[in-house]
Amino acid sequence: MQPILKIDLSTRRPETLIIPSEWECDYLGGASLAARLLYSSLTLDLDPFSPEAPLLFLTGPLTGTAGPAVGRFVVCGKSPATGLWAESNCGGFWGPELRFAGFDGLWITGKAEEPVYLWINDGRFEIREAAHLWGLDTYEIQSKIKEELGQPSARVAGIGLAGENGVLFANIMCDHGRAAGRTGLGAVMGAKNLKAIAVKGNSRIPLARSKKYALLRSEANRALKADNYSRAAHELGTAGVADYSDYLGAMPKRYFHAGTFAGAEKVSGATMAETILAGTSTCHACVIACGRVVRLEDGAKRKGPEYETIVGFGPNLLNGNLAAITRLGELCDRYGMDTISTSNTIGLAFRLYEKAFIGKADTGGLGLHWGDVEAVAQLLHLTAHREGIGKYLSQGARRFGKHFSAEDEAVQVNGLEVAYHDPRGVSGMALVYATSPRGACHMKSDYFFVDWGQADESLEVEFFERQAGAEKAANVARHQDWRGLYDALVMCAFANISGEMVAGLVNAACGLNYVVEDLFCVGERGWNMKRAINNRLGLRRANDKLPKALLEPLPDGGAAGYVPPLEEMLSAYYPARGWDPETGCPTREKLLALGLDDVAKDLWG
Amino acid sequence: MTAIFPSPEWLQALADKLNSDEKYARIAKNWEADLAFLIEPSGPLKEQVFYYLDLWHGKCRRAAVLTDLSEVKPAFILRAPYENFARVLKGELDPMQAMMTRKLQVQGSMAYMMRNVPTVLDFVRCCREITTEILS
Repeated sequence: MQPILKIDLSTRRPETLIIPSEWECDYLGGASLAARLLYSSLTLDLDPFSPEAPLLFLTGPLTGTAGPAVGRFVVCGKSPATGLWAESNCGGFWGPELRFAGFDGLWITGKAEEPVYLWINDGRFEIREAAHLWGLDTYEIQSKIKEELGQPSARVAGIGLAGENGVLFANIMCDHGRAAGRTGLGAVMGAKNLKAIAVKGNSRIPLARSKKYALLRSEANRALKADNYSRAAHELGTAGVADYSDYLGAMPKRYFHAGTFAGAEKVSGATMAETILAGTSTCHACVIACGRVVRLEDGAKRKGPEYETIVGFGPNLLNGNLAAITRLGELCDRYGMDTISTSNTIGLAFRLYEKAFIGKADTGGLGLHWGDVEAVAQLLHLTAHREGIGKYLSQGARRFGKHFSAEDEAVQVNGLEVAYHDPRGVSGMALVYATSPRGACHMKSDYFFVDWGQADESLEVEFFERQAGAEKAANVARHQDWRGLYDALVMCAFANISGEMVAGLVNAACGLNYVVEDLFCVGERGWNMKRAINNRLGLRRANDKLPKALLEPLPDGGAAGYVPPLEEMLSAYYPARGWDPETGCPTREKLLALGLDDVAKDLWG
Repeated sequence: MTAIFPSPEWLQALADKLNSDEKYARIAKNWEADLAFLIEPSGPLKEQVFYYLDLWHGKCRRAAVLTDLSEVKPAFILRAPYENFARVLKGELDPMQAMMTRKLQVQGSMAYMMRNVPTVLDFVRCCREITTEILS
């Protein structure tokens, strides 16, 4: 590995951190290594907005190579939204550029006295004043910083108004609307007065067996490009699955309370391809290119929305206008707000308005009626500025619901808003949401793909009926472990290649001789590290739950009448995981088997 | 009627089914695309087989066994080894699973395919219902 650059913004003192080789082997990099590095720092009494709170940007051992979908980086810390482990990975080009600049990670602590940005260029770094950038949006800061550095090809990751104002679902954004979303790490960055980080470099990515790697990555990219799902994602973007998700009843509507919506087919990836699509965009060296470029009525090309944004601002709010969804998504990107959490919390506001928990006295005179996109836009502005009802929206669904005495109406788990894959349509997501290390996250295991059919016999990830129950619990755990590996590599979940191919790439990059089961072990180790961090932050079995809305049957649509048997699934899940069924903590035996002796001692004495 | 897969009789039985099944007619009423099965030799099947189906608004306008695909240009080609087709017909392999796990390659517009998943799934239902025997 290349070194990690540690910077204390309070003292402006840098330090170079070399990762012990055994940790390189055990964790590989990315979120798993971050969990190991931050384990002792993330304490119960740590305020995520305090100067002491760490913000760790990491890459993986494949990042920046021409491997299959490996252009991502991850940001980790303690979430101000959940009080738990925070992890958010992001595509684009920033992660590869950080490695080209000679660092595999940045570990930031402290707080600058005035707004600043970091400039990291070929092994050197500067802290530069950013008062003139404060208040600018996430697209504006990229062009301004590149211009003042005289570096048009530099890459910039930064925050918008939401991060500056402490919105609890503020993102860190880079490139053409690429987001490190969920868990609010943009607000942590804002609390440090850190507006942006610009990177540029010319180093080669270190590879232990570079010739072997070149052969393997060509083979893997060919396989990935030929994959049916890759072709669908290229043609239709991530929203290519929208029609199927709708058909299965897995696409939430009316804030998770309706099973059908006539406008759903008007906002799918297929509709986008047939109407406003003007091109595609890609992350570093990716052969899929799932990013969308669209052209609206003003003629300008802009980022097109992906699945979550489409459903969140579309059927979730009973809006069937794709152009309006595109503009709402862009507003979120410019402010630097997570589109899932934002649209979910606004959906809650609409529901509470409908049920008279809130009225115009609360909204500043704004009527909140399903499908009213102008009202949604108003709420977005208020949220980013934390004005009026936006002050409460900016705290996320759980706190918003609690403020208006309707916490159980919030569709969230442990403070993170549920993403748009309804477990009543794809039951594996019940376990995924209940046990994810960062709350109701769909990316720590995108098990909805498995429930749709993307099982993989080579990984021993099997196919179960989409509304099966406890019998799929161990399968979910195994898929989570595999995705845990992907998060260590910071490899895109769309890199649908065989386990043997992944092992070959890791071995060639790192000089290891792992077999596929070794990689599963890396994933499982990282998963348990994150669980242990959360256990130390107070998480217990009682936290592994679903919100009320997801445990009530839908009246119609492809999932009508079904409710996932969560308790039965959890009862099968804990033994499969090696977790104590009483506390929900990994057992001593499991921790010792994974080589986490220090963690076992902390949890069990 | 006995419909052994693969055989010309099976293909004709499928065409008859598609032209008489009310549910398929309703679900596939907007479908406008022809397709070909390219069944690659594996297991008991020793030679490649091409089946062509012209599907239009819930009906099958033409079904033909071809020697190659040069005489038609179908909107979709579904290509897989014989054994994977057989597993789908026997209900051992979900059709979406087959597509998402590289067991069945799809050539053609993924936009159209994803838009019409219910039609695809009901087409597979019809295929399964007319299959009385599978070459073994």
